[in-house]
Amino acid sequence: MLDVLAQASLRDEFVAWSWINDRWDEVWEHTVDHVQLTLFAVAVGLLISVVLSAIALWWRPAYGPITWVTGFLYTIPSLALFAFLVPITGLGFVTAEIALVSYTLLILVRNIVAGVDGVSPAVKEAADAMGYTPVRRFLAIDLRLATPTIVAGVRIAAVTVVGLVSVAALVGEGGYGVLILDGLRRDFSTPIVLGAVLSVVLAVAIDVALLLVERALTPWARRGVAR
Amino acid sequence: MSITEGDVAIRLRGVEKRFAGATQPAVTSLDLEIPRGQIVTFVGPSGCGKTTTLKMINRLIEPTAGSIEVLGRNVGSMKKPELRRQIGYVIQQIGLFPHRTIAANIATVPKLVGWDKRRVAERVDELVELVGLDREMLQRYPSELSGGQQQRVGVARALAADPPILLMDEPYSAVDPIVRGRLQDELLALQRRVNKTIVVVTHDIDEAIKLGDRVVLFEVGGVVAQQGPPGDLLAAPASPFVEEFLGRERGLKRLSLLTVADADLTTGWTVEAATPSSEAVEVMRANGLEWIAVRDDNRLLGWVWLDDVAAVTRAGDAPLHEFRAHVTPSTPLREALDGIVTSQTRVAVVIDEGRYLGMLTIADISESVGRGTG
Repeated sequence: MLDVLAQASLRDEFVAWSWINDRWDEVWEHTVDHVQLTLFAVAVGLLISVVLSAIALWWRPAYGPITWVTGFLYTIPSLALFAFLVPITGLGFVTAEIALVSYTLLILVRNIVAGVDGVSPAVKEAADAMGYTPVRRFLAIDLRLATPTIVAGVRIAAVTVVGLVSVAALVGEGGYGVLILDGLRRDFSTPIVLGAVLSVVLAVAIDVALLLVERALTPWARRGVAR
Repeated sequence: MSITEGDVAIRLRGVEKRFAGATQPAVTSLDLEIPRGQIVTFVGPSGCGKTTTLKMINRLIEPTAGSIEVLGRNVGSMKKPELRRQIGYVIQQIGLFPHRTIAANIATVPKLVGWDKRRVAERVDELVELVGLDREMLQRYPSELSGGQQQRVGVARALAADPPILLMDEPYSAVDPIVRGRLQDELLALQRRVNKTIVVVTHDIDEAIKLGDRVVLFEVGGVVAQQGPPGDLLAAPASPFVEEFLGRERGLKRLSLLTVADADLTTGWTVEAATPSSEAVEVMRANGLEWIAVRDDNRLLGWVWLDDVAAVTRAGDAPLHEFRAHVTPSTPLREALDGIVTSQTRVAVVIDEGRYLGMLTIADISESVGRGTG
């Protein structure tokens, strides 16, 4: 009886701090899940995108079809994609990741191709003339110099995925989406606000972390120009 | 000048290049032999196929027909990376890797061919000294260097794995004239030490003449209008096109190739410092001289005016004037001429390690240029 009363009073508040204070362990678990789902999706997305970009850069006519397909994937509403995938791959990690990865591809492929296209033709010609094999040049010169543009793409992709991971709770995966779903089911605002706020904080944190990664990866970009 | 078989570094036979969609071939049935250990310059107007020809040597561009041999091997039968690691390459935009330090840039090819760390480091040290860079620069990035410094790094990188051949595509077009002149001198000095086969593409005839042991002058369509030592082209242009391309100042350009040693010197009127002035005045009057050079055995002291000599007892007591134009046997005649026209006496004195050899006049220079033109 008291418990019910307590619940009722919690519901009157927009954010019930006492409810949150009792559940920090649970929140931490959701955070770990959310970060894992995000990083895995971005990492796999980056790997696939590098391969797709290599194909597009090697054989230009392939670039059009690659952007059509990835663009199409990008435009499917996430709920619809989950609904489509569940009958095929079931509930769980694989379904969540297929959907999440598919949203990163367009952004990443575009940025990788644009980044590599932006590398000075003189540098590419010099690398060829020094005797680089095409694969080695792509990895050691082209991708390396495209790093700023690629990381910019990774940042957008990561922020997008952080948002989408919340929806993955629908297919039985963890993350802040669990809090939000819980709140929606019980008509209880506190977990909804908590999940949304944490999701935003995480997105910002990952964005800043990637910015630092970019600075660490491009030490040449911040040296003064002597000319 | 024919080249004997073993001395050919690069040989082109019937090479042709047609770019897709172009009505005219860029290079038409080109036969060319590039001798080992020499600097050969490709020069010509834009669209003459000189750069295309250069890039076919290391297969950045593939010929439509014909064959190219490098050091006796057909380049078409070699794997591109293998071929290119034996050929240094320097381009106008330099193309240093902006994400790598200068040391890492220079080490590019040695690392590609798998040298061990110590050998690479030793070689980088050698090259820095060879091209005249500051060791401090090794840990900097290319964007921190001036254009001239970057070009030196470009040359060091091209020479890193000690390739027998060096190709240079408009290497100095992007730097200012003062730096360009210095880099050209450095290349010539470098070549005396490394003795590579070097092909330089340029649109600048003066650069082609200055750098080339041989000059290959292209006409539009990749046709060789004339080739040979630069002095031969200047002395006897094979066609009106060549004559026009060489420009108006052919005589002056030849002067920059010839040195004082190529000219017959005027002995010049001199007297010993101890000569009594009456004797000196007599010599000058008899030859219609207004001034005379004064020497102390092999050493030239200066020159004196007739009136001044008459006023003293010995020729050396008169107020001595210095000769402005001092040249050595290795001074280019063009520079000597400049000295002559700006000096009061209208002569350049030729001095070799302190010894007076004679005087050079405008007439002597004209004489030496006139020779060989027929």
